[in-house]
Amino acid sequence: MKGIFLARLTSFFRSPGTFLLFTGMSIVFTLILGGVGGYDKITVPVSGDESLQTEFIGEALEESDVYNFKWQEVEDLKETIRRGNAEAGVILKENGYEMIVGIDSSNVQMIEQTVADIYVNKIQEENISELLRTENEEEREELLMAYQEAKENPVFGITNRTFHSSDAFIFDRSLHSIFGFTLFFVIYTICYTVLPIFTQKGNGVWDRMILSPLKKSEMYIGNLIYSFFEGYLQILVIFFVFRYLVGFDFNGELPGILLIMAVYSFAIVSLAIFITSVVKNIQQFNAALPILSVSMAMIGGAFWPIEIVQSEFLLTLSKINPLTYGMEALNGLVLYNQPIQELLKPISILILMGVIFMGVGIHLMERRHI
Amino acid sequence: MLELIDITKKFKQTEAVKNMNMYIGRGEIVGLLGPNGAGKSTAISMLSSLVEPTSGDVKFQNKSIIKNPQSLRKIIGIVPQEIALYEDLSAEENMKFFGRIYGLKGQKLQEKVNEVLEHIGLTERRKDIVKKFSGGMKRRLNIGVAMLHDPEILVMDEPTVGIDPQSRNYILQTVKRLNEERQMTVLYTSHYMEEVEYLCDRIYIMDKGNLIASGTKDEIKQILSLENTISIKADYWNEDFIEKLREHPQVNRMNIEEKEIVLVVSKNVNIFSEIAHLAEVMNVPLRSLDVKKVTLEDVFLHLTGRALRD
Repeated sequence: MKGIFLARLTSFFRSPGTFLLFTGMSIVFTLILGGVGGYDKITVPVSGDESLQTEFIGEALEESDVYNFKWQEVEDLKETIRRGNAEAGVILKENGYEMIVGIDSSNVQMIEQTVADIYVNKIQEENISELLRTENEEEREELLMAYQEAKENPVFGITNRTFHSSDAFIFDRSLHSIFGFTLFFVIYTICYTVLPIFTQKGNGVWDRMILSPLKKSEMYIGNLIYSFFEGYLQILVIFFVFRYLVGFDFNGELPGILLIMAVYSFAIVSLAIFITSVVKNIQQFNAALPILSVSMAMIGGAFWPIEIVQSEFLLTLSKINPLTYGMEALNGLVLYNQPIQELLKPISILILMGVIFMGVGIHLMERRHI
Repeated sequence: MLELIDITKKFKQTEAVKNMNMYIGRGEIVGLLGPNGAGKSTAISMLSSLVEPTSGDVKFQNKSIIKNPQSLRKIIGIVPQEIALYEDLSAEENMKFFGRIYGLKGQKLQEKVNEVLEHIGLTERRKDIVKKFSGGMKRRLNIGVAMLHDPEILVMDEPTVGIDPQSRNYILQTVKRLNEERQMTVLYTSHYMEEVEYLCDRIYIMDKGNLIASGTKDEIKQILSLENTISIKADYWNEDFIEKLREHPQVNRMNIEEKEIVLVVSKNVNIFSEIAHLAEVMNVPLRSLDVKKVTLEDVFLHLTGRALRD
């Protein structure tokens, strides 16, 4: 068993092309389509005096993580809104602001909230300065610095959480892309690592092993552990790249994500065995794999949220798709902060699918092999 | 030592092997000869415990191995028709992988790998990746891998298919040496009758799933003791000439190739002058006309009415 794993590992180091291709595609597709890494800021046109751009308000707008505030002349701003190139714009004044709304979306309220917070902070700072006016210049500077430091390093932090009803649907494009493309591309990597069992049966390597003291169970386990290893390695690489190179924090749930991914990888290894057991040759396998994996991604919610799928038929089909449960568990953990009891449902289904696909797949393979 | 008793294998409606009996004694080289699709591979798969027969029994040292093949599997080495190797690994890595699955390790494994590599003439190329090997080198390694655990019985399924004559000779000499030096029992299947003639003590001939002849080379050739084989060679043939030969009452069977026609005729019948006359009348430019020494190919032609490579 160990020998089979090591032989497969040596082959992997000699030809890592497939692994690198699918890992790279997962990362690139997520970066491009998911808008991860700062590509997803909403542009909001703003207008105001030049002094506002360089002072407190201008600096605060620059620091926004969510919006890209773009300075324009008032007329240009209005033209941008009129053409529908932005949902809303803001005309800034010394003591207030004016919202120009083109599309009344939920973003408008959030933009207004952001701008309002900046003005509140500005007024607070001015009030503090006013109170300190009686002090001498040196003490005033010291107190202001202490105030700034306190703002940057608060005694305690406040985390904002939004309450959702049970029917609420949350969509985070970046997270969705990372999850979706990882679950999708790992299907290819794992399937192509299971395929050698098929080729070994055709080229006599399998027969040679059968005639050795190795048990058949050891032959399967050695190969399947390797498939799991390569698939899971791809998942680890992708998530570590986004966590430590891109700086995506996954709401602090990375260990849980990796645990769910381990269960998903097991289910996909089993699915790969099943696919390999029903195809007659490599050409059929190569034809079936993209059809199956893309279909699974489409109806499983890897490319778009499954919540937008309306067809009852497709939704029923999605119930026998491991990718659906992988996405459900990951979204439940990271977006909805579901407790473990709720996550156990998709995880258990993935394990069950893994056991069924594995059992049926190996049985069919054994029946067919002369 | 190892025998097939009345063995049959059916795949759905097809009977790949029909009621076959076969015996292999210790230290023998036994040949299994037959055209492609004759059922040779299925027969040796049953004999080596890879495939369960539909009916009949396989016995090793008088014990059935169908339900309990472990005693046979320990002492058998198989050389499949395909290149059963990891193409991304080097020759030495392949050797070590297959050695380990037979429980060899450490110094013993290394010594065995060195010995077998030397035996098959690949010591210099031990570090090279298999997929860069020539067809002949792959075939040699394919054989070497089966020898690592010192099997008592070596089953070789067409080990020389698709390789150059030089590699083919090397393989045949290796098999002969293994048998002479180590008294290794060899079952050698091929559709090249000259290989089987060169190597084997006893021969079984199969066609369409049936065993059609068996015995030593001489015994098998005796089948043709009442007939002569005549070879006619020419640059091209004439349809009428072929038709006349086919209709000739003394011609029992004939095989037509591009530049040679082989006729099987009853012994003591002299049709040389008739053939020469026919050729002259029908404008066939004869190059030679002679009685052939009986070969296994002729026996096969006699038994089936077809050439071995048809």
